[in-house]
Amino acid sequence: MSDIDIKRISYLAKLKLPLEKEEFYSNSLKDIIKWVDNLKKVDTSRTEPLHNVTKKTVSIRNDEVSKSNSVDDVLSNAPERAQNFFKVPKVVE
Amino acid sequence: MKNSISQIKKALIEKKISVGELYDEYLAKAKSNNNNSFNLVIDKENNISSINDSQSRYDNGNPLPLDGIPLGIKDLFCTKGIRTTASSKILSNFTPNYESFVTQQLLNDGSIFIGKNNCDEFAMGSSNETSYFGPVINPWKNKNSQKDNLVPGGSSGGSAAAVAEGSCVASMGTDTGGSIRQPASLCGIVGLKPTFGSCSRWGIVAFASSLDQAGPLTNCVEDAAYILNSINKHDFNDSTSSNHQREDYLIDINNSIEKKIKIGIPSDYLEDVSEDILNQIDNTKKALSKHGIEFVDVKFKTTEYALSTYYILAPAEASSNLARYDGIRYGVREEGESLDDIYLNSRTKGFGDEVTRRILIGAYVLSAGYYDAYYRQAQKVRRLIKNDFQRILNEVDFILTPTTPNEAFKIGDKLDPISMYKNDIYTVPTSLAGLPGISIPSGLSKNGLPLGVQFIGNYFEEKTLLQLAALAEKELSFNE
Repeated sequence: MSDIDIKRISYLAKLKLPLEKEEFYSNSLKDIIKWVDNLKKVDTSRTEPLHNVTKKTVSIRNDEVSKSNSVDDVLSNAPERAQNFFKVPKVVE
Repeated sequence: MKNSISQIKKALIEKKISVGELYDEYLAKAKSNNNNSFNLVIDKENNISSINDSQSRYDNGNPLPLDGIPLGIKDLFCTKGIRTTASSKILSNFTPNYESFVTQQLLNDGSIFIGKNNCDEFAMGSSNETSYFGPVINPWKNKNSQKDNLVPGGSSGGSAAAVAEGSCVASMGTDTGGSIRQPASLCGIVGLKPTFGSCSRWGIVAFASSLDQAGPLTNCVEDAAYILNSINKHDFNDSTSSNHQREDYLIDINNSIEKKIKIGIPSDYLEDVSEDILNQIDNTKKALSKHGIEFVDVKFKTTEYALSTYYILAPAEASSNLARYDGIRYGVREEGESLDDIYLNSRTKGFGDEVTRRILIGAYVLSAGYYDAYYRQAQKVRRLIKNDFQRILNEVDFILTPTTPNEAFKIGDKLDPISMYKNDIYTVPTSLAGLPGISIPSGLSKNGLPLGVQFIGNYFEEKTLLQLAALAEKELSFNE
């Protein structure tokens, strides 16, 4: 197992770990990754990955328009809104 | 002994109690409990039209299957107009505008929601200690140290505690790696995880989409059948919802299963377990042998890999599912100068330690250079685990295991995540295989705490699984 670059992982996860917690999470991650490392000894050279455990799930419906979720409903939980939009800080100059 | 759904319905039909009085009774318990089992309790006036409608159906002699029954709902199900938090800070202000498929079925069948049950944050935990709203306390006490507050298990810990303390008749939970069965066992009640794909995930706050499944926590097996009848339906809004023909799970629940039954006990599950836990298996075996049920030893080849597989796949799926929490469209927004700062601050401050840890694990195992070694390898081992179960279910009709490796432990006792994860050693393999499992109370430990056993059945065979569990329940019932 290579070293865990906690800054890179938290960047990928869109998290900004406080400096004093970086070591805590880094050590925790190391322990867990070491613990799950036993999977590497399983021979899976002839095994396909499993995505869905049951096969009875292919269901096709008619493509009919139905009405749900009005604009007001969707925006009712928005932290900030302006008219019919979610409001965020300026992203283009 | 607490009242079952059929006993309560009988009392309502015979007018020994009204729907309103019934609600008052449970509401008083829900409000006065000191176990923190609810994130939110719904006052009578907010449910008054449902209560009146239900009463008039009783008065007219045509009650619905769950009419007037006060239910708790894990705070992971979106409930229209009722705050839904997933016990997380980041959703602490969220009120959905829609009803989850499963809770809609329960409402259609006349039940009345008494409140939202506390749970681990985003259902990530095995002790209900990760909730933003504080830990849930198990209503049971260790008879040798009465003062200690014990965990109810998790993640549906509030649901389990609420049913055990009598503040709702039953509660809807969710199970990803054991989150219904494990707390049911530690609180001395029944918990059913149906086959993956049975009950729609639509409107349930997502944790790990290839594993999450809704199911009931109840006082008895018959009540679980009542709830399953209501919620087990195909739904076009969940692409993994199964479209097989559903059965009536209640009608034959007390009849014996028509064929000769053979149950496998995995000997590898019982290595190094305590005497308390071994006793549960022995007692169950003795009790059911009297009914002509045959027991054989079976041995899994993949048990040692189950937890590792789970703790790669579940965090990987969680890290993608939780990417949606960004402080823009809903949930708590933390201030920031740029859009990126809002994302970073909202997520970092909105998630607790365990959720952060799992997002990080997920991001790591999915990242370039590690994807094949961890995530893809775990998906392959998952197939081997599923095949292992299928091999054994070709030899036997059901599998009997302990539900948990230990009784309820003290709040704050398990600080190390890996020792916490090991709580789910008997429930995680079933989840990975997608099979149905039910935990029923089987006896008390030396400390006077409840323990459970788990029966595992084949895909979509909940009907016979419930029949077997009902039979075992009659033989094993113990008084509090």
